[in-house]
Amino acid sequence: MASAFRKIDIDAYDEDALQESELYEADARDPAQVLDEARQRQAAVRSSLAKSDVAGALSVILDNAPYGPNVDEAKVLTLQTLLTILNTTKATEITGVIKSLSQDSQDTLMKYLYKGMAMPGWGDISGSVLLGWHEKLTEVAGVGCIVRTMTDRRTV
Amino acid sequence: MSNVLRPYLAAVRSTLTAALTLENFSSQVVERHNKPEVETGTSKEVLLNPLTISRNENERVLIESSVNSIRLSIKIKQADEIERILCHKFTRFMMQRAESFIVLRRKPVQGYDISFLITNTHTETMLKHKIVDFIIQFMEEVDKEISEMKLSLNARARIVAESYLTAFNA
Amino acid sequence: MILLEPHNVIIQTTLSEKLIKPSSLDVQFVDYDGVRFHLTTPERKTSLLLSMHIRCWDELVRYGAMDVLKREYGALLAAQAEPEYNVSLEIDLEQVPADPGARDDFVMSIALFKRNALAAPFELAFKTQKELEASGAGRGELMQIHYRDEEAIYVQAAHDRVTVIFSTVFQEETDRIFGRVFLQEFVDARRSPSINAPQVLYSNRDPPLEIRDVPGLRNTEDIGYVTFVVSPRHFTNPERASATISHIQLFRDYLHYHIKCSKAYMHSRMRHRVTEFQKILNRAKTEVATVERKTASGRTMTSR
Repeated sequence: MASAFRKIDIDAYDEDALQESELYEADARDPAQVLDEARQRQAAVRSSLAKSDVAGALSVILDNAPYGPNVDEAKVLTLQTLLTILNTTKATEITGVIKSLSQDSQDTLMKYLYKGMAMPGWGDISGSVLLGWHEKLTEVAGVGCIVRTMTDRRTV
Repeated sequence: MSNVLRPYLAAVRSTLTAALTLENFSSQVVERHNKPEVETGTSKEVLLNPLTISRNENERVLIESSVNSIRLSIKIKQADEIERILCHKFTRFMMQRAESFIVLRRKPVQGYDISFLITNTHTETMLKHKIVDFIIQFMEEVDKEISEMKLSLNARARIVAESYLTAFNA
Repeated sequence: MILLEPHNVIIQTTLSEKLIKPSSLDVQFVDYDGVRFHLTTPERKTSLLLSMHIRCWDELVRYGAMDVLKREYGALLAAQAEPEYNVSLEIDLEQVPADPGARDDFVMSIALFKRNALAAPFELAFKTQKELEASGAGRGELMQIHYRDEEAIYVQAAHDRVTVIFSTVFQEETDRIFGRVFLQEFVDARRSPSINAPQVLYSNRDPPLEIRDVPGLRNTEDIGYVTFVVSPRHFTNPERASATISHIQLFRDYLHYHIKCSKAYMHSRMRHRVTEFQKILNRAKTEVATVERKTASGRTMTSR
């Protein structure tokens, strides 16, 4: 048993080692609460869409979007809701809608676009819709928006 | 460039431009080492979120970035068995010449057909926008090349078959 | 050159040369399907000995190869074949007809040595078909010619047709896929009305019905079976029959030859395309100004 000490993971005892949780500030909200909020937002988006208020619907869904671990269900729900908005928007309206969003919302939208494209099964959306939005968003918000998506640890 | 492909390539272009902000960075784990962090993956604070751009399930690009290097992997469209073998032959042919394609990786990342590894040395000695141009042009032409090879194979097969069979008429 | 020639070019050229200027020689050479030839002048400069080795000789003899060769070459056929070879021809250059036309015909008939040996089972099948046609039904014997290690030709006569089946092995994945494209085109091309060729069928992996009970068939992905259904109109006329035989024998070589050609073409294409990519990438490189650096005293600085 003299060699057992060799198998100890000494990195776990390193005080300087970086933990996942130190990379970004955790979401203060409780997972159940987040899911609840996502549901409420889905309903709000539906009513906005009924009034064909795309900009309103987008800012509702993008504001305070769920991030961090343990909220996968809320994330999927939010993504689905967002994709319905993107799908129903006319191509000519996209630029105007994007311009009306705040910078934070634009960044969050970019995160969702990449997330949508990375989804293996795709669901009910075609790639060209996301690519179209991506192109318009890059035109308005610039490359910086993509850089912020890459660097922001608060993944959606 | 066909109109269908344009948004896809535009997205790759802007994402790649965004990702190509690299600087010299020595390893934090091993002293006197300076390795592409995206390949070693030992310190997670210098790795950024990987981004995927996709046209459909069979055509996508994965861009993994880090402080001193980025890795770009391409999955090329392969509609049938012939395209699959042609694509495999072509990418293999290129990767065997990786040393002359400075930014080419010798092996693709799993799930993709070909990968590029761009490090800070490359962005320092080469023009960044021209590297981006190269990747985009590669993506454009590789599809074209594969479909042309397929067409020429079919055309040849047709001629070969016809001339063999017409010889029976004599 | 799209179509392959049935005669052996080396025999043809060497023989024509020696007819003009006899000299002693000893050459060994090969033909398709591992056939080996040996051409020598054992006694005099004007007396040539041409020997041939074919992998499936025993099978060919069983299907009447000796008779065909006797008919074609008559007295030229040596009674005893050279050791290590299956059959030999003794050619006396002084006996060759002097008339240029007849001389060319003679040279060509020698150059068709391999073709004539391989023709035996086909001729036998055509004859059997005639007999079966008279009786109205029935099938001839299934003749197997194992002309390569893992590949064979099967020939069978029936009362209204002769079936020729080639089994062929694709050694690698690319060959298999290319081969499938080619064979599919063979099947499709025959449908065009201008082509009056035998019916072509192609199956991958599973052997056709006719040879399903032959023992020792491999059932793997890399094997393909091509069936030619030759109808009597391709061989009722003797001249046409001989053309059909020469042509059909070479099918396997023809197919593989063109698969290799396509691969070579793809390769040269890829080479070209990769150089193009290389040029694009080279445009990205910045010009590094290389100015010679000197010290104040005039010495050149070099990096160690």
